[in-house]
Amino acid sequence: MLPDLGHVAIVIGLAASVYAALAFAIGARRRDAVVVHSARRAVLVSFVLAGIAATIMVISLLTHDFSVLYVARNNATTTPPFFSVISLWAALEGSILFWTLLAVGWATLVLYRYRGMHPQLMSWVGATLAAINVFLFSVMTWPGNPFTRVTPIATEGPGPNALLQNHPFMGLHPPLLYLGYTGLAIPFAFGIAALITRRTDDAWLSIVRRWTIVPWIFLTAGIVAGAWWSYEVLGWGGYWAWDPVENAALLPWLTATAFIHSSMVAERRGGLRTWSVALVISTFVLTIFGTFLTRSGVVASVHSFTQSAIGPWYLAGILIALGASSALLVARLPDLRDRDTPTAVVSRESAFLFNNVLFLVITAVVILGTLLPLAVGIFGGGTIGVGAPWFNRVNVPLFVALLFLMGVGPALPWGGASLATLRDRFGPPLLVAAVAMLAAWALGMRELAPLATLGMALFSGGIMLDEVLRGTRARMRGRREAAPLAGWRLATRNRRRYGGYAVHAGILVMGIAIAVSATLSSDTSATLAPGESVTVGEYRVTYDRLVVEPLADDPRVIETRAEIRADGVAMATALRDYPNSETPIATPVVRTSLGDDLYVTLMAADPATGSVTLRVFVNPLVVWIWLGGGIVVFGAVFAIWPDRRRVGVARTAAAPAAVEPPRSLAEQESA
Amino acid sequence: MRLLRWLVVPLLVIPIGLLLFSGLGRDPSEIPSPLIGQPVPAFTLTTIDGTSVSSEDLRGRPLVVNFWASWCGPCVEEHAVLLEAQDRYGEAATIVGVLYNDTADGARGFLARYGDGGWATLTDPSGGTAIDFGVTGPPESFFVDATGIVRYKQYGPVTGAVIDAQLAPLMASR
Repeated sequence: MLPDLGHVAIVIGLAASVYAALAFAIGARRRDAVVVHSARRAVLVSFVLAGIAATIMVISLLTHDFSVLYVARNNATTTPPFFSVISLWAALEGSILFWTLLAVGWATLVLYRYRGMHPQLMSWVGATLAAINVFLFSVMTWPGNPFTRVTPIATEGPGPNALLQNHPFMGLHPPLLYLGYTGLAIPFAFGIAALITRRTDDAWLSIVRRWTIVPWIFLTAGIVAGAWWSYEVLGWGGYWAWDPVENAALLPWLTATAFIHSSMVAERRGGLRTWSVALVISTFVLTIFGTFLTRSGVVASVHSFTQSAIGPWYLAGILIALGASSALLVARLPDLRDRDTPTAVVSRESAFLFNNVLFLVITAVVILGTLLPLAVGIFGGGTIGVGAPWFNRVNVPLFVALLFLMGVGPALPWGGASLATLRDRFGPPLLVAAVAMLAAWALGMRELAPLATLGMALFSGGIMLDEVLRGTRARMRGRREAAPLAGWRLATRNRRRYGGYAVHAGILVMGIAIAVSATLSSDTSATLAPGESVTVGEYRVTYDRLVVEPLADDPRVIETRAEIRADGVAMATALRDYPNSETPIATPVVRTSLGDDLYVTLMAADPATGSVTLRVFVNPLVVWIWLGGGIVVFGAVFAIWPDRRRVGVARTAAAPAAVEPPRSLAEQESA
Repeated sequence: MRLLRWLVVPLLVIPIGLLLFSGLGRDPSEIPSPLIGQPVPAFTLTTIDGTSVSSEDLRGRPLVVNFWASWCGPCVEEHAVLLEAQDRYGEAATIVGVLYNDTADGARGFLARYGDGGWATLTDPSGGTAIDFGVTGPPESFFVDATGIVRYKQYGPVTGAVIDAQLAPLMASR
């Protein structure tokens, strides 16, 4: 009974979304506030309905209602409640339901947030978001119905995918990623609305920037959490494999990041407007593309969902979004003239331009590598490989160049820089970087890529540090503030700038950690009898005994556990046999410290003799990848944190656009 | 010029649509390798015992190039299949293993544990050979005939049936 209500909720949600899309469009054309108001209500209603459907699914999972096909396939009576709840996003249909809930949630939030402001623009934003919701609800109404029933009703199911019930991180990584993915529909909707209303002014840019950064934060956190999950769960000692689905998350991140930068040029100098609109459109199309890749079975991947009939729907969705938005963009090209401002080659604008070129090249490389197996199948010929080594080889120089720009860009003045400025700003950091590279070389780091990464990161980090110190010192002198207060005030008086610096600092930390952990990790495999040990680096791992027993919270899962000691600390690494998985699932043990991680995977165990084969990794600096990710998220939140102090001023004075970023909208948001 | 701009739309939509549509009904593990029918990519690599082996040295007999890694789970099962194949076809065909993102130490531990069939295990420290072969992840195997032409690519572990079906014709045509 209840599951049928779930599907009813979805069908009504579809109807409400169709109404909302039409009513927004009609309301915008007739400039009828009442119709627009009803459309907004309809989006709220569809959000409530998606919430009801998701709740019913969670109840069905928790009560192990095997009359629902999705539950019968992804749950067992012994599945612990936590994993039952997160099974909502563990397989195809449930994940679309969860996705829809988040997408409609974002739409509701934005439409109510800007209620009463920019009526024309917001109506078209609403129409676009509602059209996306129509698509999502229709997928669940027809090919991807999560509430499909099944008879005869089984008394037991296989449980969730073994890999997905092995670590609590599954409760964190997909929601973050989905919040990022779904949120990127907001800048897209603003892009479409701006094209329709011929309005890409500064007020528009300011809203879109903010609403790109918010989902960008979630996407960033989701990608880092995913790498962390892969590191903690998969047992191969690494965190990024250029798997098609990892690429699918990276692609919109790249274009969204490019937009965040290009929009600054659009805002300050009036350039790159068409370009910026094209970027928000591409970002959204890439998010559907990512969903399509994972859910259609087009490319092979460890993340692939089961193949299903929704592939063609998503393909149609991509093509409609791409076709309609590019047609709209072409139609509006004459209105998107950039303001012409003369620009020197060495200036902040050109640094941003190079930044965008690099991001776009990386995007193209990743798309190419991901789709090449597909293209090769059609055209034949070509002998290019698309495994991780290929991606690394092509992308590493591009990322190193980005690290360089990261320091140079913000330090260059708008318009153009003199030679003296260059020498003054870049000289000392360049020296520091060169010395550090020489030192690293002397200490035994011989590969070019990590050396270059280290050098560029220190160069850019040095430039930023220098600037923060100069600013702080100026305040200390000018206003007689103590150093910590001066630093804090400096940062909070220009949150965008210094939040951006923190984001960059986080990326630099991640860059160094990735370069070092990828090249300086050591590992060995050893077959040990109880009492024997193996030494890797400075760690001595002693194997004590083998234990084979069912898991306490899910007795159908048999754990083969090797109890080990490393430098006197007891720990255990295991293989888990899930009833629905042919191969045992590795459960590596990771002992993290600021310097390096000791990472032990159980490769094989022989219960007869009690001997085990362990693979022991010592991975330097890996924890700094996650910490760097935390710094990035902190910096981005800091940058968009509403600044209450200026509200009163901003309401009265609208600053001229080319000189100062417009405050009015940003401040209204924070009010 | 105005009208030409509109060409952007079909130029974007049609190729992307065709490409993705072509992928829809297909099993992604059956994507053919562009190497089929082509000469095997040339390589000169060092074995884990320190001797040098080049693709030229391997000419004249049917060849199985197996990309694997000690950290790769399915490679364990596959290894048993390869050991059996070596017993059965070792007289007439050559197997070589190429390490994918793995070290000689890791390989030695694996071979000590699961049995060493005696065939050459090559290290590919830069990953260059894996790139030339277009390996996406271990295990992947290439079946090469006696004249050095790639005849078949196996995604994932080879099975006894695959060995029989792919290796037998290569030996017959010799």
